[in-house]
Amino acid sequence: MRYKFFLKKGVRFSNGRGVESHDFKYSFERILDPKTKSPNTWVFDKVEGAKEFQKGGAKEVNGFRVINDHTSEIKLRKPFSPFLSMLTMTPAYVIPKEEVERWKNDFSSHPSGTGPFVLKRWLPNRELVLEKNENYFDRKAKVKGIVYKIIPEDLTTITEFELGNIDVISLPASAYSKFKNDKKWNKYIMSLEGLNTYYLGMNSSRPPFNNPDLRKAVSYAIDRKKILETFYEGRGRLAAGSVPDLLRKWDVKAGINYDPQRAKEIIRREGMSGINVNMYVTADQDVIDLAEIIQSYLSEIGINVNIKQLEWSAYKDAVNKGEPDMFWLSWWADYPDPENFLFPLFHSSNLGPAGNRTRYANKEVDTLIEKGQNSLNENDRNNFYKKAEEIIIQDMPWVSFWHRTDFLIKQPWIKGYKVYPIYTMDKGTEVAIER
Amino acid sequence: MAAYVLKRLLLLIPLLFGITLLAFFLLNALPGDPVLSLVGERASPEAIENIRKEIGVDKGFIGQYIGYLKLLSHGDFGRSYYTNRDVLKDIVMKFPNTMRLAFAAMLIAVPLGIVLGFISAYKRGRFIDRLINVVSITGLSIPIFWSAIIIMLFLSLKLKLFPPSGTGDIRFLVLPAFVLSIPAMATLSRVTRTTILNILKMPYINTARAKGLPSIKISIVHVLKNAIIPIVTIIGLDFGSYLNGAVVTETIFGWDGIGRFTMEGIIKRDYPVIMGCIIFGTAVFVLVNLITDILYHYLDPRIRLHAKEK
Repeated sequence: MRYKFFLKKGVRFSNGRGVESHDFKYSFERILDPKTKSPNTWVFDKVEGAKEFQKGGAKEVNGFRVINDHTSEIKLRKPFSPFLSMLTMTPAYVIPKEEVERWKNDFSSHPSGTGPFVLKRWLPNRELVLEKNENYFDRKAKVKGIVYKIIPEDLTTITEFELGNIDVISLPASAYSKFKNDKKWNKYIMSLEGLNTYYLGMNSSRPPFNNPDLRKAVSYAIDRKKILETFYEGRGRLAAGSVPDLLRKWDVKAGINYDPQRAKEIIRREGMSGINVNMYVTADQDVIDLAEIIQSYLSEIGINVNIKQLEWSAYKDAVNKGEPDMFWLSWWADYPDPENFLFPLFHSSNLGPAGNRTRYANKEVDTLIEKGQNSLNENDRNNFYKKAEEIIIQDMPWVSFWHRTDFLIKQPWIKGYKVYPIYTMDKGTEVAIER
Repeated sequence: MAAYVLKRLLLLIPLLFGITLLAFFLLNALPGDPVLSLVGERASPEAIENIRKEIGVDKGFIGQYIGYLKLLSHGDFGRSYYTNRDVLKDIVMKFPNTMRLAFAAMLIAVPLGIVLGFISAYKRGRFIDRLINVVSITGLSIPIFWSAIIIMLFLSLKLKLFPPSGTGDIRFLVLPAFVLSIPAMATLSRVTRTTILNILKMPYINTARAKGLPSIKISIVHVLKNAIIPIVTIIGLDFGSYLNGAVVTETIFGWDGIGRFTMEGIIKRDYPVIMGCIIFGTAVFVLVNLITDILYHYLDPRIRLHAKEK
């Protein structure tokens, strides 16, 4: 499988030098180079010669070929449909070698690329200052620059916004209804339908949740719709399966919805009434509240849930190692492709930190996902993914709750501000200030 | 004196040694893997293994500790796992902010605390004493996160006097410094009051009065001078701890100091940042204590810093 790329002419790095084919080869190989310590090597590991290069056996990656200054080719070991989507991710951004070599370890503080802005200043925990890139090849930014302020406390952020010191903020959940019900502000709220899925994971590799019927009972026992509408104030879309509604190009049969009677029947049939399970959550108040709601639903069908709160790092560690019976987590898109919500999360080669934290393993699902990845025809691909998702919904290694919608609020003088489901799509060139 | 200071500074070396060992041990005992924190939500086992090797956490406790000491011996604190920035440079950048905040807070707390304590002691049992008592006990018991938010809402949002957050000139400093000064001020006023009340009972005060000394002279020469030791102790302790960062105040007011830097490091298991902050903080704390001890020597001739002077 080969992709041939013809580079746009006249594209310049922010240091002024023109971008050529070898820059891409350099940038991509840098990600795979163990010295870079990149966690994102998976973006390129399907490229021919990537493995050999990573192990140190080869000086370069054969699959990245420079044909001439403006033509290059990428060769994959076999067809891999999400590859083009993956190239939209930040690890696939092109950077100039001379700047990397100039700044060495400090390149992260002096990054350089081809985007509409350049980083002028970065004070960690304080602010990022971006300045318009005059060398940008596409439509240039309308503003002189963008300042990202890091304010850890929500109330402080809102105070700054109300004083007019900040143009756009993401609206914290605690302030959502306040602004929503305020006539002056409600027209300035923007919603951002995120490519994400929030889920209640169950460790399907060991008892008790290696029993798919018990997992189904959990799903029947919880009224997700009600929780979404009340506790979560409707800040999301009810999930039918693991793939976000915005990415799913097929219909799935109605999932396993609230039906406490059926849940009780299953528990009775399986003789599991009164079992104890643990549920790990992070120590965030809203997650703890949600865990208690889930706990009370499950107690009605005879499952006793012990909630264990952990601080984020310890939590992540425990979940990656498969310690909890149940856990609350979310998955956010890296690139806009349904594959991103199937392969890392449910393929048996990705147990633990690679994404499959429910430790779900089903040969049939593995095969269907692989077929989807290797299929270049979109219809075929969607069919494979649809079948895989349907099996996953029936097997229920996790209960999909919702796809979260985030809200932002802007000042009246901010025009043209758009929100995107993935942050890499936001180029910031449309936003303007009109006072 | 010079010999004493030198000895104390030399003692800092084994102390820092012990602190690094202890901190290192505790970090290793914590649940949570720094590499898993670092890699985000999706990373292949090979990538994780590679990063483990590159940052040296695969070497086990002893190996890691020796590696760290080697780094330190070059005056290098290492680089943050997350930002890849030089930890020492970041500390040096953030420490002046912490110092400004600590100084400003003490500048408010010390004179106010001492004056309030004085008034309270001299007007013992009167209305003003009770009022000061209520104020200082309230100041001690109100958590900073609450007072910070109330003060911000009132002075920033309603009256628009000061910016609610940010790190910068004096306008940005007023609110966090004031909030941070409240508990120190309250402690100081309580301690000053008690100490003065004890001193006022002393026979030498009666003697001074009997000699016919003016009461202002008694207050300054006899009372304040004798009360100064516990006051200086409290100031030293508070100041030392403020210099190690005031996490809550810094978080609420978005003040870019050492406290938040340390906290972020801990949350992300960013070992070089945590270790750097601990070492730096220990050194600062020891230095402040040393200065306090030297001050004792000047303030109270009975306290001798060195055995020979006995």
